[in-house]
Order: sequence, then C-alpha cells, then structure tokens
Amino acid sequence: MSDQTDVLQGTLDLLIMRTIALEPMHGWAIAQRIQQISDELLRVQQGSLYPALHRLEHQGWIVADWGASENNRRARFYSLTKAGRKQLDVEVSKWERLSAGVNLVLQRT
Amino acid sequence: MRLWHIFHSRLRSVFFRDRREDDLREELEFHLERETERLEASGTPREAARFQALRLFGGPEQIKEECRDARGTGFVDDTIRDIRYALRGFARAPLVAFTIVSTIGLGLGLVTVAFTFLNMVLFRQDQVPNIHEMFAVDRPRTAEREPAPLTRAHLDDLRRGTTIFTDAYGEISGIDFPVDGRVLLMTFTTANFFQVVGVNAAMGRTLMPGDDEPLAGRPVIVLSDRGWDRLFARDPAVLGRALLVSGVSLEVVGVMPEGFRGLSIVPPDYWAPLSMVDDVVPTYRGRGAHVDVRVVGRLKPGISRQTAQAGLAVWSASQPSGSPLGPLASSGSRGAPGMTLVPWRGTVQQPLEAMVVTGPLFFAFGLILLIGCANVANLLLARAVARQREIGIRLSLGAARGRIVRQLLTESLLLAVLAAAAGFAISRVALRALVDAMLTSWPPEIGDLQLLVPAADWRVLLFLMIGAGISAMFFGLAPALQATRIEPVRTMRGEVVRDARPGRARDLLIGVQVSASAILLICAVVFLRSALAAATADPGLRTVDTIAIQIAKEATRTAMVQAVAAEPSVVAFAASSPGALGASRTAVAETAGAKATVAYKFVSPDFFSVLDIPVVRGRAFTVDERSPDLPVAIVSETAARVLWPGADAIGQVVRLERDPRADVRAADEPRFQPRSVTVVGVVRDVAGFRIAPFPKSIVYLPTGAAVPGTAVIARVQGDPERARQALIKRLTTIDPGMEQAGSEQVGVLGWIVRMETYLLKVGFWFTIGLGGLALVLTLSGLFSVLSYLVEQRTREIGVRMALGATTADVTRLVLSQSIRPVGAGLLLGSGAAAGLSALLLATPGAEFIGQIVHVLDPIAYGASLLVITAACLAAASIPATRAARLDPTLTLRQE
Repeated sequence: MSDQTDVLQGTLDLLIMRTIALEPMHGWAIAQRIQQISDELLRVQQGSLYPALHRLEHQGWIVADWGASENNRRARFYSLTKAGRKQLDVEVSKWERLSAGVNLVLQRT
Repeated sequence: MRLWHIFHSRLRSVFFRDRREDDLREELEFHLERETERLEASGTPREAARFQALRLFGGPEQIKEECRDARGTGFVDDTIRDIRYALRGFARAPLVAFTIVSTIGLGLGLVTVAFTFLNMVLFRQDQVPNIHEMFAVDRPRTAEREPAPLTRAHLDDLRRGTTIFTDAYGEISGIDFPVDGRVLLMTFTTANFFQVVGVNAAMGRTLMPGDDEPLAGRPVIVLSDRGWDRLFARDPAVLGRALLVSGVSLEVVGVMPEGFRGLSIVPPDYWAPLSMVDDVVPTYRGRGAHVDVRVVGRLKPGISRQTAQAGLAVWSASQPSGSPLGPLASSGSRGAPGMTLVPWRGTVQQPLEAMVVTGPLFFAFGLILLIGCANVANLLLARAVARQREIGIRLSLGAARGRIVRQLLTESLLLAVLAAAAGFAISRVALRALVDAMLTSWPPEIGDLQLLVPAADWRVLLFLMIGAGISAMFFGLAPALQATRIEPVRTMRGEVVRDARPGRARDLLIGVQVSASAILLICAVVFLRSALAAATADPGLRTVDTIAIQIAKEATRTAMVQAVAAEPSVVAFAASSPGALGASRTAVAETAGAKATVAYKFVSPDFFSVLDIPVVRGRAFTVDERSPDLPVAIVSETAARVLWPGADAIGQVVRLERDPRADVRAADEPRFQPRSVTVVGVVRDVAGFRIAPFPKSIVYLPTGAAVPGTAVIARVQGDPERARQALIKRLTTIDPGMEQAGSEQVGVLGWIVRMETYLLKVGFWFTIGLGGLALVLTLSGLFSVLSYLVEQRTREIGVRMALGATTADVTRLVLSQSIRPVGAGLLLGSGAAAGLSALLLATPGAEFIGQIVHVLDPIAYGASLLVITAACLAAASIPATRAARLDPTLTLRQE
C-alpha cells in the first residue's frame, strides 16, 4: 500500500481517457483499471475522479450513458467522443514530451 | 459533434437540474456500493467495508459540489440565486425599488421616444418581399435645383425600352385632400403597383390592369389598413362601399394588410389608379401622359445597381432630344449619368438629415436619462453605506468580492429590466401625448400636419434593452465597487469605514446632474427670449391684413387680376416678382465709385404703399412706370449707402449686371437682362423674418400686375381669413385648381410670423419641460444626498455643537457639502452649452440658426444659472436647518 503513488496532478485526465479508449467503463472500474494496469503503482484519489469525469464530459471529450454493470446494476458508463480521441492523441504526445524532458534532466544532471 | 455534446450536456445541466442531481447521487452511490462489495469480497465484514469505502471516498457532498463546479453550471445557479436575493431585497425596501424603476423608466422612455421616431424614418423598411430589389429612378439633384420629374410617358417608354426591371410602376404620392373636414392622404399609382411590390390584399383584390384604363368602368380604390380604420372604422363589409371625393364616387375593392405602407414612411389612406388623378385632383386636370410621376422598379434578380444604372443611361441617351418626352439627360452637368437609382424601401432617403433632426432629441432626452442614472447611483451609494454591515458579513463568511459585485450588479440589471418595461409604457404614452399636442397646437394656416404615432417594433425593444443594460452599468457599477471596498472586521463592529465613504463619487454625480440641467435650462431660456424677440420684432412690412396670391396659369392672369380688383374686401393691391416673401435674386451693381452684389426685385407702383414700406427720399414708381424695361429704380437705404457712400442716391445711375455666381434659374424664370437704371427714390430697409430674412441691400425695378411671372399682393379689410376665403372662391371660378389652394398659393402673410413664433414656442415648451424635469430630478437627488449625509453625521454634528459650534457654523458645514459640486456643475454645464453653440455655429446651417435663435445670449445663461443656484440652495437649506436644529445632548445620548 505504502509504495503506491497518487496520480500526478494534471495526468488524471490523460489516464481516464486512455483507459476508456478501449471500451466504455463506469467510474469505479476506471479507478480499478488504472490501479491494475499500473501494477498497483498508481492510486486514483477516488474523490477527484468524479469531478474529473464531469469536467471531461462538460468539455465534450467524453460522454456518459446509463448501462448495466458487471454485477447487473445501473451504472454510468463513460466513453470517448470523436473529439475526445483526437484530444487523447494530443495529450499523449504532450505527456511523452514532458516525461522525456524530465527524464533527460534527471539523467544529465 | 463535440459542440453538440457540450451544448447537450449544458442544456441538461441547466434545465433538468433535478434529474442531474439524481444522476449524480446514483452514480456516487453505485461507486460506494461497488467498493463495499470489493472489500467484502476480500473478507471485511459488511459494516466495516462500507465504512472503509466511505473513508476512501471522502465527503460525498463535497464531491458533488466539485462535480457541479466542474460542469460549470454555477453561473446559472448563482444568477438564479442572485435574482431571488434581489427580489427579496426589493420586497424589503419597495419604495427604493419604485423610485429607481420610475426614475430610470422615465429616462429610458424619453430616449425611446426619440428612437421610435428615428426607427420610423430610418430603419423600418416596408414589408415587401425582396425589398432590396426596389429602386426609384431619379435624376441627379443639383445643388440649387430639384430635378425635373419623370412623366408617365417616360415610364411607359422605360418599361418598353429597357430590360433591367422585372417591372416598374409610377405613382403620385402624398396628395392630401380635404373630404368632409378630414384630410385624406392618397396615392395614385399605375395598376401594376401591387404586382410589382408583390403584396396581396388582405381582403378583396388589389388594382388590376383594367382599372387604370382612362375609360375604365367604375373608379376603384384599394384601402390601406390605416385608411380602412380611419374612414370605415374597420367595417368588415367595406368591399363595395363608396367614398365620395370631389364629386367622384370611388368604390372600395380591397384592403391591404396591416404593416404595408406602399414603400412610403406613412401609408396613404388609399391607392387609386393613376388615370383617375385628373378626375379627382383639379390641379392635375388635362395633363394626361405628361403628369409627373415617381418611377419605382423592381430590378431583375442578379442585376447589380451599377449594371442597371448603365442600362438606364443607355436608355436615356437613346431618347431623341427633340422628342415630346423632353430631354432626359441632365443638361449642363457634363459627364454625370442622366439617371440614378435610389434604394426605395419606405425609409427616408437622407439618413444624415434624419440623424440631424433627431440628434437634439436624443441629446436632450439622454441628458434626462443621465440625470436619472446619477440620481439612482447616488441613492445606491447611500444604500451601500447602509448595507456595509450586510456586505461585511458576507465578505467575512468567505464570499469573493467579485461574487458580491456580481450580485449587486444583478440587482441593478434587474431594476433596469423593470425600468425598461416602465420605459416602454412611458414612451407609448409620451408619443401619443406629443403627437396630440402637436396636432392641437399646430397653426392651421401653416398647412395640414400629417402625424401618426409611430409603432414600436423589435428594434425599439432591442434599443430599450441595450439602453437598460448600459444604464444599469452606469448606475450600478460604481456603487457596487464602492460597497465591496470595505474591511469586514471593522464594519461588523458597526463602524463606517472612512475609505468607503463615497464622497468623491457623490460629488461627481451631483456635478453631472447640475451641468445637465444647466444645459437644458439655458436652451429653454434661449428659446423663450428668441420667441419673445420674434413676436415683438418689426419685420418692416405689413403682414396682418396682407394676402399674397400666386397665379399658377399665365393664361388666366388678366381674369385673375380683375377678380382680385373686383373683390370688395380688397382695399389695394400690388404685384411683385418674386412674390412678397419670395427669395430675391442677386445682381452685380456697378456705379462710378463702387461695385457690390445687391438683391433685386420687380415691384409694381403700389408695392410700397400696400406693404407700408416708407419712401425716405425721392418718390415711389408712378402709375405709368409699370414696365420691367423702364430704366428707373428705387433702392433701399442700405443699398444707397453701399453704392454711393456719402452722396445722395437720387438721380444717380447704376449699372446692373448678371451675378455670375447665382445664375441658376427656375425653368419659367426669364433671364435677367443687364441694364443701366436711374435711381428715383430711396425706401426704408425691410428686415424680414427670422425664418425668412430679407436682403438689406436691394434694388427695386418697376413692373405691373399684368406682367407674367408676378405675384399679386393685396391689402384687405375686415377679417383676413374671411377675405382669403372670399378671394379663393372668386378665383376658383376662373381656375378650378384654386379650390384646393393652400397658404402657399393664396395666403395671409401673417402666417409666416405665426410659423416662426410657433417653432420657437415649440422649442421653448420642449426645453422648459425637459429643463424643469431635469431640475426637479437634480434637486431631489441633492436633497436626499444632503439629508442622508446629515443623518450619517448626526453624531459628529452633535459633538461639534457640544464643543461650541453655532447653528450658523453647522448650516455652513452642510451647505459647503453641496457648494463645490454644484458650482463645478454650473461651470461645466454652461461651458458645455457654450461649446455646443460654438459647434452649432460652425456647421453649414449656422447662418440660418443664428437668425432664428441667439444661441450665445448672456441673459439666458445668467438667468438659468441663477435659477439653478437658487433652487439648489433651497434644496440644501432644508437638511441644513435640520442639522442646525439638532439637540447636541440628545444626539450624544443616542450613542
């Protein structure tokens, strides 16, 4: 537990969009998936997940629909819009540039 | 797509608020439930699992709030909350709300009156399909002369000879005609008029091609909505009814829809076929195809105005110059195209002139609005001090300053919207009152006045809304900013913070108000003094019982002159060219020693005695001197002084040459023949009138009533109006066209005096009304501000008095509060008035304005400034004496 890191400020949007790019998901599953895929390295603050989802929806990158969850209950499933996919590409390349830059600084000093 | 998602999501968040809240709750609940299940699956007991899930999650309410914020629906929610809050505030202080709404409403209403007029003449296009295709064919206007109009024959030829128009019609519009004591406004059109404009009748039919044949069966007319209302009181069975106009029975065959004005600003009462014009209107009798019409056409789709203009030029050039149609290309103006196309959409053709006419209205009404806004701003400033505690509490509870400013502005905006509604009602009432006042006060001898209460449309409403928004910014922003510039802790203790005392803003507002009232009052006094001066001014010629008669048809001259001579009420008569009030032409006079431009006028021997112009030296023309060719002349005193300085003019010879700068003649006017004349007499200068001044330096040349082109001037006995009617009756037997003679054909000269005093009186009543209103608003503002200040400073005054200040000291203290802003306002106001006058005098119309009103009248300035000062002192003295009467022990004990 203690070696989990909170998701970096500003990257949550990117992670959410990347996660639901494969298939529509509800909020809880998104948080779980991020944790699983990162080999439990990353922890999504559950409290900041929903505001982020609503903000992305408000910006038109993602849409939400009610659907049946894996345990057969009503859940809000989020999926990327077309514009959201483009935005994801932009965000990914931005992130790559940033992390490459940060890595270079760390290695060369 | 993205935009659609955004729009959809926002729409839902705004309008389906409950649903959105439910969704949010369910979504978060699902998450908690799922998390609990997960923990349960790993062996935690249900209760503990639920608790841990909640702990991981954080406060659901806070997350909900963050989600709401993330959606950006806060703005709408906040606004709704602000509006509710504001309405509660109004309910708590209804008098304040009422004062604000009525003050701003009054100002907005007045400005809207001005805009409604402007809208009518400038923006309100007629309801005609594809109106941008409609163009009138016009000949270019030269500086001095109206272009010769086109005739019906031109129209027929144009329709045959060009292909630029889908079709074109001809009309004679704006003919007013008295029927049963009412003046009807009618338009005669070619029968294709309604087909060209493309508007169908609301009831019955429009004119058909057959209606316009010279020998059509029954004469028919099509009513406008206005005519239907005015003449037939909206009788649903009006079709087939008849209207009797000058002996012709006109059958109503149709009624046009409301809002169709026939491409004019004011709709006529009805449209009649053009061929009927000579049956109905006597002055048009016997002119057939040569009757003058305005030609308006619908351009073919896709033809530009330039192309069409070129097409017209080709057509007009192809007209043989000797053709019966007359030359079309405008002679003299080389290179200029013979024809132009003017957009014809039922609005005024000269937007600039409309702006010039309504500009002063906007300015004057705008000043009232400005004063009202200043008053309200002051009131709100005072209230802001009173609300410091409330605002202080909200600030210390964590409200952002911007949030409170927004709330206060919402309040102002809400008030402004209410004021706009009140303003709309006020503008309707004011318009009706204005039109009624004009109609009842209009002197009948000037002519008929056609005035309608202009309708309001969406543009007027839009204008009102924008005006309300701007006013709200003006009266609401400063108080809102001022109110929030406070320190919460100290205000909670009930202290009024020194920085928040809005003294400077208040002084500024009072100054603005005083200067605006000063401008209006100065205008009022200027008009009043000019009206008085005009009423007492001596024009230098006799007007009360003098009647001027224009002879329209030279063929009837002898008979007409005999008829005038035979009328028993006529005591004496003379003739002149141009007429008694007509503008004189100029010539260059040359003597042995001097050369000057003088006016000249042909007058008959009795001219001077009929008009009471005294002969100072020498003699008037003798009875035999009635020919324009005789080499004798009489000069005015000024002309004598200019041409022969220091010498006697009698017996001198002067050479009169054409004035090269003024060689513009009306078509029927004979060219001035240069001549040498001997002066036989000198007469007194004739000052003339403010709106029609006479040249001082003038040479009179002989003529007689028998000479073509002269107008007859008759002195009558008894009631001039009755004599005028008797003359008209007599003259109608010779020329039937005289039956409808207006003041310009047979008129008592006194009308011009009436006209000028009327105009000045209108100006006076208008500005005095507004000036009074401005002053009342300003005084009430000043009064309430000072009263409020006294109330605020009761404790301070009490201390002062306890320490030995006399009542005089206290009075001075309060009065001094108002002296600076009032004084500054007076200076600013009179400066602005003088500046405006200077600006006015710099415009091309300055000479004319200068003759009518004396814009820089020092007495007007002095008087109005005195009135304002006195009124302000009076308004200030009440709170001042109240302050002086304070009992120091009482006020100190109160604390």
